[in-house]
Amino acid sequence: MTGSRSKSIIIWTFVIASIVILSAPTIVVLGASFTAGNIITFPPEGLSLKWYGTIFGAAGLRQAFLRSLYVATICTAISIPVGTLAAIALTKYKIRFANSIQIYLLLPFTIPLISQGIGMMLFFGEMGLAGQLWPVGVACSVINIPFMIWAVTASASNLNPDLELAAANCGAPPLQTFLYVTLPAVMPGVITGSLLMFILALNEFLVSMLLVDARNVTLPVQIYNNIRSIITPDLAAVSVVFIVSAGIVIALLDRLVGLDIFLKSK
Amino acid sequence: MTLSSVDREPADADPTIAVSVRNVGMRYGDFDAVKDASFDLPKGKFLTILGPSGSGKTTLLRLIAGFGEPTTGEIFINGEPVNAVPAHRRAIGMVFQRLALFPHMTAAQNIAFPLKMRRRDARTIADQVERYLDLVKLGGYGGRRIDALSGGQQQRVAIARALVFEPDLLLLDEPLAALDVKLREEMQLEFRRIQKELGVTTINVTHDQREALVVSDEVIVMNDGVIQQKAQPILAYRKPENAFVANFIGVTNFVHGIVTGVDGGVVAFRSGGKDLRGIAGGSAPQLAEGAQCSAAIRAEQIRIVTGGETPDRFEIVVEGVIADTIFEGERIVYEITVPQLAEASLRVFDHDPAAHTQFQPGARIQLGWNSKDMHVF
Ligand SMILES: Nc1ncnc2c1ncn2[C@@H]1O[C@H](COP(=O)(O)OP(=O)(O)O)[C@@H](O)[C@H]1O
Ligand SMILES: [Mg+2]
Repeated sequence: MTGSRSKSIIIWTFVIASIVILSAPTIVVLGASFTAGNIITFPPEGLSLKWYGTIFGAAGLRQAFLRSLYVATICTAISIPVGTLAAIALTKYKIRFANSIQIYLLLPFTIPLISQGIGMMLFFGEMGLAGQLWPVGVACSVINIPFMIWAVTASASNLNPDLELAAANCGAPPLQTFLYVTLPAVMPGVITGSLLMFILALNEFLVSMLLVDARNVTLPVQIYNNIRSIITPDLAAVSVVFIVSAGIVIALLDRLVGLDIFLKSK
Repeated sequence: MTLSSVDREPADADPTIAVSVRNVGMRYGDFDAVKDASFDLPKGKFLTILGPSGSGKTTLLRLIAGFGEPTTGEIFINGEPVNAVPAHRRAIGMVFQRLALFPHMTAAQNIAFPLKMRRRDARTIADQVERYLDLVKLGGYGGRRIDALSGGQQQRVAIARALVFEPDLLLLDEPLAALDVKLREEMQLEFRRIQKELGVTTINVTHDQREALVVSDEVIVMNDGVIQQKAQPILAYRKPENAFVANFIGVTNFVHGIVTGVDGGVVAFRSGGKDLRGIAGGSAPQLAEGAQCSAAIRAEQIRIVTGGETPDRFEIVVEGVIADTIFEGERIVYEITVPQLAEASLRVFDHDPAAHTQFQPGARIQLGWNSKDMHVF
């Protein structure tokens, strides 16, 4: 009895400590954003929404945020068809280079982002596209596509192959079978993957940093530029807006497909 | 054999034939899942392919459905060779082993799908879906999600989806195997009712001999990819073509011996020290004097000779010892060892266990049967 009680005390201590450690930065930022003072402090001096007023008034930040949305949209729009088709092909057919493809899918964890970023910079520079915004979306898609493929693969590998035969048996030609049966069956994976791709691109810092010029920066780069001058609470407010956007995506995910699928996707 | 020698010939010959399978084989690597299968199925008939798991039933059924092309041979549907016709252009309804209902659609949307693919107009689709929901006794359930239906209801949706476009042919791949016994027996009769009502030619696959005997006009028994026998259920039961069929259908006893003489259809043989007789089994018996043989006899055709009966009723009477007594409710199965027949073990039924005392293991009894009920292979 006492043994199991002390065990549960230890477990709960760990759980609470982890939650505190994980959420501490968020709480600090959250607190700081509501400060009435002029510098970031914790606990905040007084409460006000003035820094939120400031950032909504700041054209630079607002435009940077719109640019980030644009980049994330392009990235997602490319990733959905490419990642979905690749994942379905990978699960359905015995592909010759399956092993090499598995290794490729580990790339986001093995190759330093900076080297991929430099590669992209050279590539788009050669093509005369340096400084433009849309290549950032393309680059984010190329770098993060394995996440999309994983998400869809998780759905596709649960797909009962008889479903496609059943569709054919019902008179559906291959295209209709794909549209009416295969695609809806992998839809949870597609939704999970595209929200993930959207958020990854929205937050992307390094690649934007390397690919865009100073007049065309995305939000994370804009924030970084601002930090280098003076750290004012408006940056905390921007961070909170960022965190809330991510929160909305997670909530959306939970509503649309259920978080358990997201957590199980490999 | 070349394809041209089988081409066309069976189909044009007979317009009453719905499906004609000609020398069809399916080979995976160096494994023959189906070997040289041939049969004709007349229109409107209910055929059951019966065989143990792995005997090639699903493979044969899928070839007929058009999921893959046979390695050899040709399949004809309504007289047309269909090897080159893809599955979606064959008018065949199929109920899959695991149903394969579309999980993201409602019951009604599942049933509407074949009509939608055939571009029927919305009005016709709605009417037809209603009709088939009623036919399978699911009126009012059309809006349900598939996972909100019970096992038996899902079966009914699957059969409605397979029939709604009025196919030439209905294929059933053990769709009842996963159901519990009571529901399975109910659904077997239900399938039979619907099939009779619509008159659709049906090929049913099962490993359940009872189902095959109950629902079919014709039975094909398969083993190791080879068709062993095609016959009406009662004939497959009464006149098994070979020892496999005799063993697979019914509760069958085998007595092994050496042939001592063959006279027309009657075979004399010796088992242990005893001389027995039986009729030559199969359509082309290959028995010669001195050959090894096995003689099959159904459990219900052996009688325990009790006080009231005279042993003269039976041509063969042997002594046995009860080895085991198995109570199965409506009957008792005795396992009986017969020392005279080289210690053969025979199963015998007693269908009225309540009326008299049971025999206990170790009891000595007499068994009798008639030679016409013994098939020698
Ligand atoms: N696609 C395949 N590749 C290799 N072997 C197969 C394939 N499909 C079926 N088989 C083999 O063919 C045999 C018959 O299978 P099947 O037709 O499913 O039997 P049944 O339906 O009678 O249980 C089995 O031994 C199975 O392993
Ligand atoms: Mg099977």
